[in-house]
Order: sequence, then structure tokens, then C-alpha cells
Amino acid sequence: MRCATGFASAVALSWLVAIVALVTGAPSAGAAGLSEVIGQVQPKIVKIYGAGGFQGLEAYQSGMLISGEGHVLTVWSYVLDTDEITVTLDDGRRFKAQLLGADPRLELAVLKVDATGLNHFELAAATKAEPGTRVLAFSNLFGVATGDEPASVQHGLVAIKSQLEARRGVFDTTYKGPVYVLDAMTNNPGAPGGALVDYEGRLLAMLGKELRNSLSNTWLNYAIPIEEMATTVDEIRTGKFVRKPNDEPNKKPDKALNLALLGIVLVPDVLERTPPFVDAVRPDSPAALAGVQPDDLVLFVNDRLVQSCKALAGELEFIDRIDAVKVTVIRGQDLVDVTLAAPAEEK
Amino acid sequence: MKPEQFKCIFRCVAAIVAAALAASAARAQQSLPQLEEQAMRAAVARVAPSVVKIETVGGLERVGKVLVGTGPTTGLVVSSDGYIVSSAFNFAQKPSSILVGLADGTRTPARLVATDHQRMLVLLKVTVDELLPVPEAVPENEIQVGQWSIAVGRTFEGREPNMSAGIVSGLNRIWGKAIQTDAKISPANYGGPLVDIRGRVLGVLVPLSPTSGDDIAGVEWYDSGIGFAVPLAHVNSVLPKLVQGTDLKPGIMGVSLNGRDMYTKPPVIVACRPNSPAYKAGLKAGDRIVEIDGAAIERQAQLRQQINRRYAGDTIHVAVLRGDERIERDIPLVDQLDPYARPFLGILPRRDAPADTAGIPVRYVYPESPAAKAGMKPGDTIAGFDGEAVANRDALVERASGLEIGQPAKVELRRAGETLTVELAPVAEPTAVPAELPPAREGNPAAPEGERPQVGQFAVKIPEFKNECTAYVPEAYNPRVPHGLVVWLHPPGGTKDEDLLARWKEPCDRLNLILLAPRSGDPARWVPPEVDFVAKTIDQIREHYNVDPQRVVVHGQQAGGSLAYVVAFAHRDAVRGVAAVDAPILGRPPENEPAYRLSFFVTSAKKANFAEPIKAGIEQLREMKYPVTVTDQGDTARYLDDREFAELLRWIDSLDRI
Repeated sequence: MRCATGFASAVALSWLVAIVALVTGAPSAGAAGLSEVIGQVQPKIVKIYGAGGFQGLEAYQSGMLISGEGHVLTVWSYVLDTDEITVTLDDGRRFKAQLLGADPRLELAVLKVDATGLNHFELAAATKAEPGTRVLAFSNLFGVATGDEPASVQHGLVAIKSQLEARRGVFDTTYKGPVYVLDAMTNNPGAPGGALVDYEGRLLAMLGKELRNSLSNTWLNYAIPIEEMATTVDEIRTGKFVRKPNDEPNKKPDKALNLALLGIVLVPDVLERTPPFVDAVRPDSPAALAGVQPDDLVLFVNDRLVQSCKALAGELEFIDRIDAVKVTVIRGQDLVDVTLAAPAEEK
Repeated sequence: MKPEQFKCIFRCVAAIVAAALAASAARAQQSLPQLEEQAMRAAVARVAPSVVKIETVGGLERVGKVLVGTGPTTGLVVSSDGYIVSSAFNFAQKPSSILVGLADGTRTPARLVATDHQRMLVLLKVTVDELLPVPEAVPENEIQVGQWSIAVGRTFEGREPNMSAGIVSGLNRIWGKAIQTDAKISPANYGGPLVDIRGRVLGVLVPLSPTSGDDIAGVEWYDSGIGFAVPLAHVNSVLPKLVQGTDLKPGIMGVSLNGRDMYTKPPVIVACRPNSPAYKAGLKAGDRIVEIDGAAIERQAQLRQQINRRYAGDTIHVAVLRGDERIERDIPLVDQLDPYARPFLGILPRRDAPADTAGIPVRYVYPESPAAKAGMKPGDTIAGFDGEAVANRDALVERASGLEIGQPAKVELRRAGETLTVELAPVAEPTAVPAELPPAREGNPAAPEGERPQVGQFAVKIPEFKNECTAYVPEAYNPRVPHGLVVWLHPPGGTKDEDLLARWKEPCDRLNLILLAPRSGDPARWVPPEVDFVAKTIDQIREHYNVDPQRVVVHGQQAGGSLAYVVAFAHRDAVRGVAAVDAPILGRPPENEPAYRLSFFVTSAKKANFAEPIKAGIEQLREMKYPVTVTDQGDTARYLDDREFAELLRWIDSLDRI
């Protein structure tokens, strides 16, 4: 048995190194490859300077070249809210940049500088990552690089690919699509607009703005996949981009549902997070007909978790009173689903 | 090397080479990072079916002063019939309902079965139709610093778990309780597993702090390159108890040790708490702990390393040295001690006894006290205690702290040339302040020749702090006379030096007190790091002046008063009294201990901003058996009036009561 355990741990530690050493004969080949990759990516990263510089707002961010003719992809932010946007290339050349267009829903902007023959990313060649993909993040975080100093590089892996907006109010951002969540501290001041690439230097995503998770009170490090942005970027570059009508999914209906219409009376809301227990059900109401009972605890409204009386009332404000709503309650140790609809309004 | 060992190694090497060659054909084009990436993904995939999402409904918004999130957190299946372990952090807000989302996406209600308060874990139970997959644990002795460790959580939307990679940074951290990792550990994965490159579980991720046992301590270290996991092998070992619904709590032995520097001082017992396990086992003041369960102990920190990972109910084998005698005992640890109340005989000692005279002359006898009932009078001299001579006041204070309330003790007295013995049973300390006190000394010894340290009003500087600080030392300061020390912590807005001196100069001169007034950097508020500044000013005065260790008082108003509590709780070896005017307690008071005497002088008012917390604080201190003198100011809170101020001075002047 001692032999077996010794063997197990020996393999655990030396397994991968042994393979590479035998196959390539050069244990450090991976590292040498990495610095080559980094050297190829760095010239494609630019430093962007604009508005800000007061009240703790930095006047700089990062960007990436996406054409040989000076198109720069970056995040849409207050930094670009000025006539004087300066882009500094990797070789130190400074250009006044023109804002070609921006899509606030995707939090992206495209700039143009007057230069040619630039080293750049091809958006069409961008690839995808999976959870666990090891990545490099390039940015001018904290504005630490100036002039012809190359951008900083950080390493990490994709923790998960996930939607940012699944529960209301968790993240203060207009972007609602999927993001790569990273396990490295990438989203620092100055980093938004930087590039996320895989270990072969293939473009994956753009580093997003600093974002706090209001549920866990922690900062999130993430990047927006290029595939989410490519079409819009092309439209901006070709001048075909039209701002989409504001199809805000969080828009509240004019006449929203409320608990009174459903016939549910909750316990008095006395705490910051009073659990939404049903105190009473009005007779003959939709709730009564659906079998909702006093002491049921409401957990989900249309599959969205509601953690308090306030959250429940707030969630109903997003539901039009002409629509039916699925409510999930916990009764004893059972989850019970009911579908409720407010009675039709009398004319 | 033995032949079988050689054969074993040979077989290992042969196996590695064979495996490598087999793999090389298939993976010829892959780099080390790619292979590692694949291995990590496979590891996460292997443990993922045992990783669940936990959501809670209801509960507190704040725990202490920290806003706690309500975000989903993670749990790990530890038994196929539905037991799930998670971090206690996730339950600090005491939710009213718990939902577990299994790896296949089904949501099911869970109940809290038990909590391990020692390692900050909780055990949940869900009802399952199908058996849940239980992950494989890595044996604790196989875990090595430097090996890959991957943290796995299930807190994002969708079906996938989230992951973060790093290495094992340390073992036996936080007093031997946890594995340390540099993977990013945060509420995104607290409660989830830390796995090795093969997907076997190293431990369960928890926030931990080496200095605090609070539910949420250690969270401030999220994503900082330092995170902790309780070894799963350990979790499995306590699982049977947790399944029974038994909460596990830190084990306590009940000894007070000498001094606060745990890294240099040997663990010598100053006192055993009455009824504590150590007391029942017969350990005594003066015993030096040299061994616990066979592990040699030289420093207090090593003792902590041994004790701080044990549970109440565990039995430890302790060896102590009493003189040259080695004594060994089995001591069962408990989770709580009876609160310690300091025994009180009922006298104030005079402070002008020459150091070479054996005995302590009595300055004042408290009416109705055990001393008064035994007929003791001012002018008597206490010569001995239970047959032992006591040399001076401080020795008597320490000796008396080890007495037991209600247990008679024999005191030898000298009165007018005669020796007599009285028997008295100590009671708990009084909270009423004597209405009048005779002087503590008659005349002063001749001041020594040579230079005196600075007297009058002057500025104190601490090099590493920008804060200012004023001190006042009586002009007539005599280095042979011990002085009390009053530290004034101003309310928001600060206090002007001239106002301060107008109030304190006369009492300082009359009662041999030194005044110290550190100031906050921003006059409007005190910030926590300034506790250190205040402590350093106290140290500086103690270093250069003859300060009576029994009469060091931190006094403050409003925020200054709250800070006074913090200073006293953090520097118990220096501070003997807190006088807090219109100020709630900040932080949890430490337990009352024989080695660290502490008394409180507190004001309350019905319409004070913090009337309720102040009241609750007083109750809390009383429950912990601290002597709390409360001055009721009626409706409106304010600073002390002349009568109350005079009472404060008498309270300070009686802090060396015995």
C-alpha cells in the first residue's frame, strides 16, 4: 500500500512535466512559446486618453486595433465623452482619434486613427473559450504604461461563461449578454477595452468595465466575447449602424400586477429582508382558487428568486396584469407551483 | 535502500515512462499549458456532480457592521443520502429558508442540520429520490504545498460550475485547521470544493481569520491570493456528529496565561478559571504547560496551535511543570466557561508603603464588605494570605484574583504591633463608588537627584503616525511616586487643549495622574488603525514615567468613548478601566479574565443617539461579570457634570481595590 500511495503522489506531481520533457525534450518550451505569443499581441493594444481625471474617475482606458487602417475597438465610457480622444500606439505614436460610433447596449465603441499598416486583430478570426481555458489579458491597467511602453499582461483562466443579467439589479450595466468570468484580477481602472486572448494569441473577448456584484458585494472580473460584438462593430465601421430602439427587457408595463389583484396578503414587512410568507388569502381570489395557503413562503415569481417581501412586490411591477404569472411556494418541505392570473378588468 | 523500496520506485518510473510514451503519440502537438488545461477541466468535470448551488430567502441584511450578500453560494455533497456541507459564511444572516440546486438543475428545499463553529462549516440535508454522488477525498497526508488546486463553485447562472486555479500555498494554517491556496476564493465559491488536478477533493472552501472567530471573519481577504479550505478528510471525520444535529464548538481549557506576546512567552498559567476543565484537573497558577498530546510546547503560540483546532468534548493529555515536578492530566475541553467574576475582599491599599516593608497597609475598608465584616480597619497591615507572605500591592492583587467567590480565605494582619488572622469569603466586585476616600499616601519620598523627564504640557509624537497628541504631567512629578494614567479620546470635533487642561490639571496634580490626549487624524472621526496610535502613546508614557499599572484608564466621549472600548479590548495588558461617556460598545468584549483586570464607568441617557446599544452593552458587560458603574444622566446625553466628574476621579482612585 505504501508503494501505491507513493506512486500516486509521484505521478500527480510529475505526470505532466514528464510527458512534455519526454516529448519535446524541452520543459520550458511552453514558457518560451508564451512570450512569443505575448510579443505578437502587445503591438495590437493601444492606450486611450480622454475625459475624466476628477472625482476618482480615471481619464484613460485600453483598446485594441482591429484593422490595419487604424480602427480601434474599446468600451463605451465617459472617457470617450470628449472631442479630444488621444490614442497612443504600442510604438509610442500618438494620434487624435475620431469616434466612429458606439453601441451603449453592448458597451462598445469604435475609434479611428489616421494610420496605415498597423498590426491588428481580425475580428473574423476571433475564437471562443470554455470554462477552464487559460487566457492572457492585455490592458493598460492603472495607466501604468505610457508612451512606447507595451501594455501589461495578466494570466488566468475562464472561470465560467455566464449571463450577467439573470437577476435584477445585481450588476449595474446595460450589457445583458454572456460574459467570460475570469479568475484573475483583470478589471481594474484603465483596463476596460483591453484584449483577452488564449495561449496561442487568438482573440477571445474585450475586457469590460469595473463591475460590482451587488448580491455578494464582490468585484467581478469579466470580458465580453467578440462574437457578441462583431456584427455591431462591422456595422459601425461600414456606417450602417443604427441605434436599436430601446428594447429594454426591464421596462415596466403601464399596468402592472400586484398582490392585491392576486388576493395574496403577505406578513407585515417589518424587516429589511422579511421573508415573503403568505399571511392570508382572500376568498375567491385567483390565489385562493389556485390553492395558495396561509404560511406558504413565496420563493419564485416566473422562476426568479424573490428573497423578501420587497423583492416580491418589486418583481410583480415588471409583470403586466394581463399576463399570467407562475408562482412557486414552499409548503412544509415541498415546492409547489401555481399559475395565477388577475381577473379581467371590467370595462 | 531496501530492495522492495527500490522495486517500488522502479515500477513507478517504468509506469510513468510507459504512460508518457503512450500519451506522447496522441498528444504530440500539445504544450504543457494545454495538457494542464485539459487536466483541470477534467478535474472540475469529475467533482461537478457533487457541487450544488445554495440560495436563501429572508434573513439579516447586516452581520455586525458588514453588509452581507444574498447571492447564491455553493455546497458540496458529503453523503449520498442528501447531506451537503457548506461554509457557515453563507448562513451568517440566518436565512428563514434554504434552497439547494443540484447539479442536474433541480431545486429542492434544505434544512440546516448542524454547524461547526470551530471550522465555520454547516451541514444541510435535502430529501433525495436518487442517491447523490459523493466525491473522493485526498488523504490529508498526501497534500503537498505547490501542487495544483482548483476551486470550484456553483454560483453563476446556467448549469456550469465556476472554477479558479492556483496552487496549495500552505498546510495546517489557522491554528492547524486549514489548507491555504492562492486560487481566487470569494463568495463565488465559499462552500465549494478545492480539488486536486485529478478532481479529488482537498477541502471545503471557507473564509477564515487567524485572529477572529466571527461568522464572517476572513471575508475581507476575498480574491486576494489567500484562501482557505478545511480538509475534506477532517469534515468526513466529524460528519457522524454533525449528522446527529450536534453543533461543534471550539474547545476551551480555562487557563489564563501571562502576557500578550504569544511568540516569545512560555505558557505559564496565571490563573485557572473556577470550575474550568483545567481547574478541575488540578492545574494551578505557576504551572508551565510543556506538552499537549505528546507535542512539546515552548511558546504560547504552540499551545494555541494545539488548542485552537480542538472541539469542545475532545480530551487532551496535558503535561505541566510545577517547579521540578512533572504533572500529567487528561483534560476534557468544554465550549463555555462560567463567566469569571473577580473576587473582592473590600479594601483599598495605601500607595505609600516603602517597597522593603513586608505587608500592605490598608487605606480604606468598604462598608458592608467581607473585610468590614471581619473587622478590618484602615491602618491594619496585610502581611500574608493563607499562610503565604505577600510583599506588595501588585502581588496581593494577583494573589486575590485566584481566590474563589464564597470560599473563605485566611488573611494575616498586623495591628498595633500584634499579629492576628481573620477569615473572610470574597464577594463580587462592587460597582458603587465610595462617596469619600482618604488620601492614598501621606507625603512623598524624596525625589531622586538628576534629570526628570519632561513635565507640564507637551506634545507626544509617534514616528509612524501623523496624529497629534498632548500630554500633561504634574509639575511636581516625582519619579518615585507611581502615577495613574488617564487617556482622553475626544468626541467628534475634538477638544481644545486649554479646555482639557482647565478640567484635568487640578485633579492630575492632586491625585498623581498623568493625562494623555491623542487626537484623531480627522477631527470629525476616529478610524480603526488609530487604535494602534493610541496604544503606542500609552506605551510611550509607560516607558518614560512611573505609571501605576492598576490605574490606566481610557476615557472618551461619543466616538471617542467607543474607541476607548476598542483600545481596552485590544490592549488588555495595559488598560484597567474604560470610562465611556455617551458611547456604545464597539466590537465584542473579550471574556473577563483573572490576568486582565478591567472595570467600566459608563453614562446612559434616555434620549441619547445610541441609547439602546449603550443599554445593551451595559447588559452584555454585566452578563460577562465585569464591574460596570453606570451614571444615569436622565433624558439628554452630555459630558459629566461636576458631581459626576468627581465620582469618575474617585472611581479611578479606587481601581486598585482588592
